[in-house]
Amino acid sequence: MSDTLFLSKDGLVRLLEAVKASEVYAAVRRERGPEYCHLQEAPEAEVALREPRPSSSPKAFLQPAKERVAVYTNEGFDVEASRPVCEDRALVGLRACDLAAIAYLDKVFREGDFKDPFYEARRENELLVSVDCVAVHENCFCTAVGGRPFAESGFDLNITPLESGYLVEVGTERGREVVDRVADAAAEPTDEQLAERNAARQKSIGQVEKQTRGLRVTDTIQELLLAKQGTDELSQMAARCVECAACTFICPTCHCFYLYDQVGGAENFERMRTWDSCILGGYSRMAGPAGAKPTPRPSLRSRFANRLLHKYAFSPQQYGMLGCTGCGRCIEACCGEIDIREVLRELSGDTSG
Amino acid sequence: MTQAVEANPYAPQVARLSRVIDETPTIKTFCFDLEQPLEFRAGQFVQLGVPGLGEAPFTPSSSPLEPGHLEVTVLRTGGVTERLHRMAEGDVCTLRGPYGKGYPVEKLEGKDVVVVGGGVGLAPLRALIYVLLSMTDRLNKVVIKNGARESAELLFRRQYDDWAAHDKVSFEMTIDAPEPGWAGHVGVVTTVLENLPNEVNVPNAYAFSCGPEIMLRFVTFALLEKGFQPEQIYLSMNRRMSCGIGKCGRCNIGPYYLCKDGPDMCYAQIKDYPNVF
Repeated sequence: MSDTLFLSKDGLVRLLEAVKASEVYAAVRRERGPEYCHLQEAPEAEVALREPRPSSSPKAFLQPAKERVAVYTNEGFDVEASRPVCEDRALVGLRACDLAAIAYLDKVFREGDFKDPFYEARRENELLVSVDCVAVHENCFCTAVGGRPFAESGFDLNITPLESGYLVEVGTERGREVVDRVADAAAEPTDEQLAERNAARQKSIGQVEKQTRGLRVTDTIQELLLAKQGTDELSQMAARCVECAACTFICPTCHCFYLYDQVGGAENFERMRTWDSCILGGYSRMAGPAGAKPTPRPSLRSRFANRLLHKYAFSPQQYGMLGCTGCGRCIEACCGEIDIREVLRELSGDTSG
Repeated sequence: MTQAVEANPYAPQVARLSRVIDETPTIKTFCFDLEQPLEFRAGQFVQLGVPGLGEAPFTPSSSPLEPGHLEVTVLRTGGVTERLHRMAEGDVCTLRGPYGKGYPVEKLEGKDVVVVGGGVGLAPLRALIYVLLSMTDRLNKVVIKNGARESAELLFRRQYDDWAAHDKVSFEMTIDAPEPGWAGHVGVVTTVLENLPNEVNVPNAYAFSCGPEIMLRFVTFALLEKGFQPEQIYLSMNRRMSCGIGKCGRCNIGPYYLCKDGPDMCYAQIKDYPNVF
């Protein structure tokens, strides 16, 4: 069997049913647009394969907004209760930008001197099923940050919607096992079907390129950001920011968290972590009187600038990747109507837009 | 540290206080005799906490050469430190670490080493001083400068004479606000750096400083003025290091996470990034 197969619409329904995992998260159709959800909690939901990317990212399934990371008592820490517990999982309907974000989070949490055992446990037994973007959200700009509206790697299975069915590309052995369960429904793709995929992809690239109007995040933008880091020009961008932190919570790569301890039961204590945001004033506040400057970035503008710098200048140095996938979700989420594309355009001195 | 703790970097071990030393009206040293020695390099830090309340990052002030006996010197300044200061021998603390890189002691062979402390900033530097004193035969000179607001806040005062008694070691202290009868130097710590070019061979020297951010800033400027290059200046940068392992994101200066790449940073690495001081 080749690496790319054709499945009819019914065949694909069977394929998705053949995704056997204790927990399945999927992009599903909702009245107000596609969104990721826990499929077991919405068994009637239909997987969204032909819609633009959901308005939220699958980040919460990889790094929950709040979780317990250790239990301890006055006698020591409870090894059993502190161990990550995770069943096999599947993420279905991921867009290419979401796969890029997972690759970024993998670098943060699975590489370096210390690994995050909770993230690691979730990713270890996880099936990733991605889908080409045949529809593009108006805020998408993946091509400006080196992405494409379809995935070429990083998936176990990738689905391309066609007029009369679907092409399914097998990326890994784990993906192959799923396809093998519905082998009778799969056929070798025809040249016409492969050509249709190619045309659909080119069309999506064209659509994204059209709306990004030539915006390209290159090394030059990184240099510009670094050169302008302390200037008013960069700070002006923050003028409309209202410090709601929505951009960081909606962002698929933002991963900052806060550790805190609390009393668990009568005899034990719990160490928890929650999402945190570098935009918020208390984010890096330290103990000490105001005169001792306990907040290294006291102004909102400096925090806004730091976030931009992290995405486009520091991340490439830290992880070899931009911290932005071009999903554009922060654009919808922003209460101050800050459009990151306009910010980047303005910074680079491009006034054509 | 046990294998299990290593596997979960967020899980603390618990340690009983073996002694609490009153150092100054605002500073105490918390001592632990650990069953499993906590091996650390001078400048690496630990997360010390109060069960159920939370933890905060501190660089041990004890000698890395005696890893079974850990001392952490703490200024009372916030929620966790307030509760720590109310603890006594036998009470239980949480402990994780060590984290960070530590001071580049390997670079110091044959060098002149300048150590500049301010207030509780002398605490992490004491771990370095212990290491330096153990290797004076391989160093050219050690010059220690220490400043505090007032004489009551001079940390580890009982040890100054011992340090100065070592060959190749000089020690000078200063306070900002002298009480009647104070015969020593008066002024901020930079005022005892004025004569530095006559005390050390600047091109062959490294300087290490720890103290309040405002002090680090002026110490840096003073050192640069005396001819030190940014590459020769190491600063203990303090940020809200929460996870300690380079994941939680909050302690960055530019692309560096202080918990992972510091907390002592070479000034040359960080000087061009915003919000350093």
